Amino acid sequence: MILRLKDIHISFTNAHNETFDLLRGVNLDVEKGKITALIGGNGTGKTTLFNIISGFEKNYKGKIEFEGHEVNFKRMPAYKISMEGIGRLFQDGQLMSGLTLMENMKLASNDTTGEIPFVSLLFPNRYKQAELKKEAQAREILTRIFGENNKYLSLLNQDASAFSYGEQRLLSLARMLMGGDRLLLLDEPTSGVHPQYINTIAQIIREMKEREGLTVLLIEHNMHFVREVADTCAYLDEGVIAEVGPTNVVLGNQKVRNSYLGL
Amino acid sequence: MEYVFHIIIMVCIYIILVLSANLTIGVANLLTMCQAAFYGIGAYIGTLFLMQFNYSFVLIAIVVMFFTGAFSLLISYASARLKDDYFIIATMGFQLIVYTILYNWTDVTRGPYGIPGIPGIKLLRIIEISGIYGYLCLSLVMMAIVVLLFRHLINSPFGRALNAVRADEMTAQALGRNTIRLKSMAFFISAAFTGLAGTIYASYVSYIDPTSFTLDESIFIISALFIGGIGNTKGPVLGAVFVVLLPELLRFVGLPDSIAANLRQIIYGLALILVMFYRPQGILGKTILK
Repeated sequence: MILRLKDIHISFTNAHNETFDLLRGVNLDVEKGKITALIGGNGTGKTTLFNIISGFEKNYKGKIEFEGHEVNFKRMPAYKISMEGIGRLFQDGQLMSGLTLMENMKLASNDTTGEIPFVSLLFPNRYKQAELKKEAQAREILTRIFGENNKYLSLLNQDASAFSYGEQRLLSLARMLMGGDRLLLLDEPTSGVHPQYINTIAQIIREMKEREGLTVLLIEHNMHFVREVADTCAYLDEGVIAEVGPTNVVLGNQKVRNSYLGL
Repeated sequence: MEYVFHIIIMVCIYIILVLSANLTIGVANLLTMCQAAFYGIGAYIGTLFLMQFNYSFVLIAIVVMFFTGAFSLLISYASARLKDDYFIIATMGFQLIVYTILYNWTDVTRGPYGIPGIPGIKLLRIIEISGIYGYLCLSLVMMAIVVLLFRHLINSPFGRALNAVRADEMTAQALGRNTIRLKSMAFFISAAFTGLAGTIYASYVSYIDPTSFTLDESIFIISALFIGGIGNTKGPVLGAVFVVLLPELLRFVGLPDSIAANLRQIIYGLALILVMFYRPQGILGKTILK
């Protein structure tokens, strides 16, 4: 088990001072080396749960275990959680504009050599070697995912904003392979993406699991996609995990079909 | 010829000021309205050391940069807790507080009377820089060093990480970057070099008073930055040259001083409006303020 969520609660208060319990005791075990899909209707708290796991939401109750150890995520800033090995793709997450594709890839690396001001002036060789290593890693990842002589290799110095939304989603996923993450949280990776890219996204996610040995927890509304990539599926409803199990079983569950899929 | 040299010295000082502002505003997307406060802090600390101690310029520069940078921690604290417009207003508050202190702490700053007779800078405690030729050489050398340092910073992994903060702070955090620390370092460096420009200015003009370090001056520095362009080193250099040379060029048109002063403000304003409309990244800029 790479991640264990124990009795996670979170409430929000609206402008009229009314308190609303969004998560009412979420318990979820995410198995190491597997792809788990988190499904549920809009506003059920899936993204909030991701925010809790990745350190962007601190006002929750409950316990989180990561790799067998209980970690106080409330006290850890988001960047430290990332350094612990939990990566995150946001729902509207794209490449960072104003930076080239290569710069985007390098930023995802855990190696922060040269990010202290003027240090790269003092130790130029160490800095150059680190940069060359990151460049080689970026090229290798892009080659592995998109094939030899793919167009992205010739567009490494292109500003990120020059790529289409779908391409940016693909490249944002590829970028996640640069870091030393062991658990990836992907918030609707196919959202707003042209169908032609969805197969590539599925391929990248499978690659993350099979070649990199990573664990993936993803939020997704595209049930064909979920059926294609996810080993396990968890259904979040009314603030709790109502169903969890093999994807085909959960998606075939009558309760899920009635309340979420409307079948 | 001295007139031309004076203009070149002022251009060099403003290039340092605008480049420093560019690191926080243009690269990290943190619009601060208190650059003149750091300019003033640097000028007054430098003056104190120049008048009280017989230290070399290198030592005074290090001390001034350190202390002015230390004041930036107040702004870093605000940036960690305030966002967008609220942060901008907080920096304006800082600017007004610093001005008020400089104006009213008369025992130290002499308030509105200013401090006259500021001695020249001493290189290595032996050679005193005096006269316009000395300051021309010093300001040209300092400007060149600062341009090279900022160019290096912007293109280094540090600049890349700061650009990530500008583009998408949450994603930068999700990629393992301590954005509060990155912003604090940017504020420190920006304030430190602004303070250095203040010391060179104070020593060069040999007289300072608080009216040189007002909110208007902060707006003037930011205007230069936005006209020239943000996110790289070319834009700020062009902006600084433009705002310093414009009033001098108007002199040659032969307009009376009273009209030229107003016309200058109108041209600055018009230039800002045109740039915002047609080239929001500035004439030679790289990025757009979000």
